[in-house]
Amino acid sequence: MYTKTISIIAATVIGGSVLTTNIATARDYVSIVGSSTVYPFATTVAEQFGKSTKFATPKVESTGSGGGLKLFCSGIGVTHPDISNASRRIKKSEYDKCQANGVKDIIEVKVGYDGIVLANSKKSHPMKLSRRDIFLALAKMVPGTDGKLIDNPNKTWKDINASLPNTKIEVLGPPPTSGTRDAFAELAMEGGAKTFDNMKALRAAKGDAVKPLMAKLGIPENAFNAKGKNVFKRVAHSIREDGAYVEAGENDNLIVQKLEANPNALGIFGFSFLDQNEDKVQGSSIDGHMPTFEAISDGSYPVSRPLFFYVKKAHVAVIPGISGYLAEFTSDKAWGEEGYLADKGMIPMPGAERAKFASDVQNLTPLVLQ
Amino acid sequence: MSNPILTTILLSLISFSYSYGKKFAFTTGSKVGGVHKLHSRPAYHGMLIALWCALPSLFILFVWQFAEPAIISSMVLSSLPDAINTLPPERLGLVLNDIKNLSMGLSFGGQIDPQLLKASEYYLQLQQTGINIKSGAVIILSIIGLLAGFKLLSPSLRARNHVERVVRYFLIGCSLIAIFTTIGIVLSVLFEALRFFQKVSVAEFLFSLTWSPQISIRADQVGASGEFGAVPVFAGTMLISAIAMLVAVPIGLMSAIYLSEYASKRMRATAKPLIEILAGVPTVVYGFFAALVVAPFIRNAGTAMGLEVSSESALAAGLIMGIMIIPFVMSIADDVINAVPQSLRDGSYGLGATKSETVKNVVIPAALPGIVGGILLAVSRAIGETMIVVMAAGLSANLTVNPLQAVTTVTVQIVTLLIGDQEFDSPKTLAAFALGLLLFVVTLSLNILALYIVRKYREEYE
Amino acid sequence: MSDKNMKRKTTMTIVSEGLAKRYKKEKRFKMLGLSAILFSLLFLVFLFSSIFLNGYKAFFQTAVQIDVFFDPAVLDVKDPATANYHGLIKTSLRTAFPDIKKRKDKKKLYGIISNGASFTLRDIVLENPSIIGQTLSVWVLADDDIDMLMKSYIDRELPESDRRMNDMQIDWVDTFKAQNRIKFLFNIGFFTNGDSREPESAGILGATIGSMYMLAITLVLAFPIGIGAAIYLEEFAVKNWLTDIIEVNINNLAAVPSIVFGLLGLAVFLNFFQLPRSAPLVGGLVLFLMTLPTIIITSRVALQSVPPSIREAALGVGASKMQAVFHHVLPLAMPGMLTGTIIGMARALGESAPLLMIGMVAFIVDIPSSIADPATALPVQIYLWADSPERAFVERTSAAIMVLLTFLILMNGTAVYLRSKFERRW
Repeated sequence: MYTKTISIIAATVIGGSVLTTNIATARDYVSIVGSSTVYPFATTVAEQFGKSTKFATPKVESTGSGGGLKLFCSGIGVTHPDISNASRRIKKSEYDKCQANGVKDIIEVKVGYDGIVLANSKKSHPMKLSRRDIFLALAKMVPGTDGKLIDNPNKTWKDINASLPNTKIEVLGPPPTSGTRDAFAELAMEGGAKTFDNMKALRAAKGDAVKPLMAKLGIPENAFNAKGKNVFKRVAHSIREDGAYVEAGENDNLIVQKLEANPNALGIFGFSFLDQNEDKVQGSSIDGHMPTFEAISDGSYPVSRPLFFYVKKAHVAVIPGISGYLAEFTSDKAWGEEGYLADKGMIPMPGAERAKFASDVQNLTPLVLQ
Repeated sequence: MSNPILTTILLSLISFSYSYGKKFAFTTGSKVGGVHKLHSRPAYHGMLIALWCALPSLFILFVWQFAEPAIISSMVLSSLPDAINTLPPERLGLVLNDIKNLSMGLSFGGQIDPQLLKASEYYLQLQQTGINIKSGAVIILSIIGLLAGFKLLSPSLRARNHVERVVRYFLIGCSLIAIFTTIGIVLSVLFEALRFFQKVSVAEFLFSLTWSPQISIRADQVGASGEFGAVPVFAGTMLISAIAMLVAVPIGLMSAIYLSEYASKRMRATAKPLIEILAGVPTVVYGFFAALVVAPFIRNAGTAMGLEVSSESALAAGLIMGIMIIPFVMSIADDVINAVPQSLRDGSYGLGATKSETVKNVVIPAALPGIVGGILLAVSRAIGETMIVVMAAGLSANLTVNPLQAVTTVTVQIVTLLIGDQEFDSPKTLAAFALGLLLFVVTLSLNILALYIVRKYREEYE
Repeated sequence: MSDKNMKRKTTMTIVSEGLAKRYKKEKRFKMLGLSAILFSLLFLVFLFSSIFLNGYKAFFQTAVQIDVFFDPAVLDVKDPATANYHGLIKTSLRTAFPDIKKRKDKKKLYGIISNGASFTLRDIVLENPSIIGQTLSVWVLADDDIDMLMKSYIDRELPESDRRMNDMQIDWVDTFKAQNRIKFLFNIGFFTNGDSREPESAGILGATIGSMYMLAITLVLAFPIGIGAAIYLEEFAVKNWLTDIIEVNINNLAAVPSIVFGLLGLAVFLNFFQLPRSAPLVGGLVLFLMTLPTIIITSRVALQSVPPSIREAALGVGASKMQAVFHHVLPLAMPGMLTGTIIGMARALGESAPLLMIGMVAFIVDIPSSIADPATALPVQIYLWADSPERAFVERTSAAIMVLLTFLILMNGTAVYLRSKFERRW
């Protein structure tokens, strides 16, 4: 029995030491991290690139934009990722962190747009909304009859707009940690808030002009900020928390399925999920525009946001495959109007913008963020 | 010499020393008047030498494996011209990666810097030398160890005691790993949690009634309210766990009672493993099932009865979690019930009690401490369960006891906060670690309580 | 009943009067127990059949037969690997449907065939370069939309605008059907491919290998160390504060949420030891720490169940304590320890929460060839597929769940078999 124990010890130790040898080998694949929104597109390009060249297929992790940029900015070297996807632009603080950690030259590539849609089940009627309706339905505070902000009293869509159906307001959407939610607040909610004169004035106001407007709107003094815009955003970005807006997680497939089970509810998710589930859900028109591929790409549909990825210049020449991956991503057969990314639901940029970013990639022009 | 070959040589050296030591003991034993005159049995002599042979060389091998890459890297880098050599260290790491890739024949078009090519050849050469030195050192060391072991051999050698001491140290080492794990866990969440508490006070975190991490994601926005009161999150966790327990405890307990008191041997042998499969189903699968089958069903049923049901009601997640925990409660209860001695039951039957009366009045009271302890352990499992709630429970932190509403749990918040799109040192991300710490503390106290109850009230029947 | 009557009653009559009621209660109690068990079993059947019904179709895949002319003008005989195989497919589809002229319609037409088909053609040519210049009928995978139509997940009755496929596309499929050029093939790719963004060529081999690497590491570390710790604590440890702390610790670790182990892995293995992200090595280490307490606890129970008389007998004939444990107690406790280890391994195999924290939620196409290569695990693959927009991933998710469940049931079955075979009552 001792022999057995000793052989187990030996096997463990030897096994352990054999295991460690492999770690020292070099990284021969591109490592990509970042946003779950860009993930479906980045993976498609990665697969095309990996299968059609002799390079290893890049590894794409879905970590969220923040988590991705954290890893990306933590330094230069093989243990750090080469590319980070983001569903928002890099923040100044993140850029500074990058600089501080020696990640000096970063190339910013905008890849296209993602439409954010409001959709409901095919079993119920299509909704025709305006951004004002959306704001009134989902904001935590809305202007009451006397113009002062009150807790959102609207229970049904009819309360907001007589032309809308008399159903309970129930919207399934992403949590506050999500970039989708952030973009939605900025594009749809702010757009709606601006339709109120006092709010619009507040947005434009500066310095002393802010206080009287705040008083008019009934915003408490402690929310004061010298820039009226900031106070405005604070109101416009607050989403109600009384159950009308249901934070439903990042799994958009689940949201689609929940909508199917609940015809009265609306869901907020990315365009590609609407595209794939046309037979189950229908997009609501916003300000008269249906969320279609064409309307999003020509900019007439108001709620869409750009998608990005960031590349470390220092890695480009060193990690095998980065330049190939970049070339694949910025080729017309990928991100062009007829490219395979469009098939996956990404909205391409106009030709001129594509040319600009493609040349940025070609020349490895670093991003300068003030 | 590649690693497997070296390993084989080492292993054969070790086995040789074992058999040699054993043989030696037999021969010396017969010289001094029989093997039984030796202090230890011959096998121990063999084992002692084998240990002498193995441990030092394995230690060196192990250290080498860790040290070699660093040594070779620095040698390769110092061979490079100054222009490259003076780059900052992280750049050097990249150059090194390039060299390594080149040495593996991986180039990616374009021109290859001749200096790097030279370096990559040098790298290969160094690697070869490294392997040679390593193999030499390890083999020589094992032979030295072997010889040193031989020197010790004598009829009066207390070989067994030496071997047993080594084994004992190994065993102690094994049991210490648990402590290191706990320390690791505490340290890995503590620092980030402390950073969080610099931004949000501990009192607010523990006692505030609103959880609403609506802080802006980008710098040019001023966010909406950001409130980090963990109470609703924990209340949600408790609500879902309570529902789960309401399902798991009665069903698990009744199953255990039936299996141990009523079921035939054959039924027990089939039903128990089948139910235990429920514990083996991956939680991801349960999560799906809860979100796609159970939640819509509950919603439809509720709406039909005129109730207002949220599409991610606490009930759906709780029910499924309860089903997942059934086998856990069942096996613990089964063990405890079986531990109640037959004599107690016989006494009760002798008084004319029926089986169910015996169970209710004799068996369960006797087994209660164990059952309660088991239930507490099940509670801590429910609190820590992640995937089911990530997929089926909502994210809205409602402070409610209505199981038809959506609530959120600690684990859901940890996952969403950590994989969100927000900036990484915002309180939003850090809050995940604070929640992790709190979760650890809560489960720790539950477990200690469970252990205490079991120890204090356990009846000893022997 | 009056008081007088009561008094006259003997104990026996009271007992027999209550008997019917008590028997009824007894019966009710028994039924309650039985229904509890039936509930669990019914749920099990329900769960498994719903997964099966959702997923069994994923084991078959629609393939389309097309006539491909291996054009020497496109294929360079010297370097056939880099030719435009997609072009070959397009040409052959154009020849099959010559009256499609509009650009948009053509694009739809090309969309019938999976993007992966060009790699199939490449492999054919690479294997046998002499076919260049010939025309061959080749079965290639259809696009996932066609597959969904063939599996009747797409409702033909819906109005055209609500469908993912328009009437023209359905016509093409029907034409293929009429020519017997479309059929279901057994989906080998599902078992031999890595992940893919095209549902029709996505497979689970990469995830399975990743899971196996992790399990191997977990087993190699957790089995000896777990048993060592159990032996020490059960047989040798003297009662003092240190062993007390260790004991509480182990019991506590067994109930620590798995996600906390993920946080540990992130901080210690990735950030401190700088091990590579997404590697099975790190996953295996995390799962090892997670399963260790379970194995220690079950091993201790197994050791406890060996009666003291065995130890006493061994000590009585002069064995040392170590000898008594290793020669006599351990072999008797081994079946129990093995059972515990297998169950711990099964739990590790199904675990995904800690892996979310250490970068294993990743898209990895290449099959990992060592424990330091990036890899994913089966449960994580399930999680990832569930989040994919493409409809065809739904059935693949269920199919992957089936594979995972098969592994788990096999492991649990082995444990049950071991237990019933070696279980000994003292």
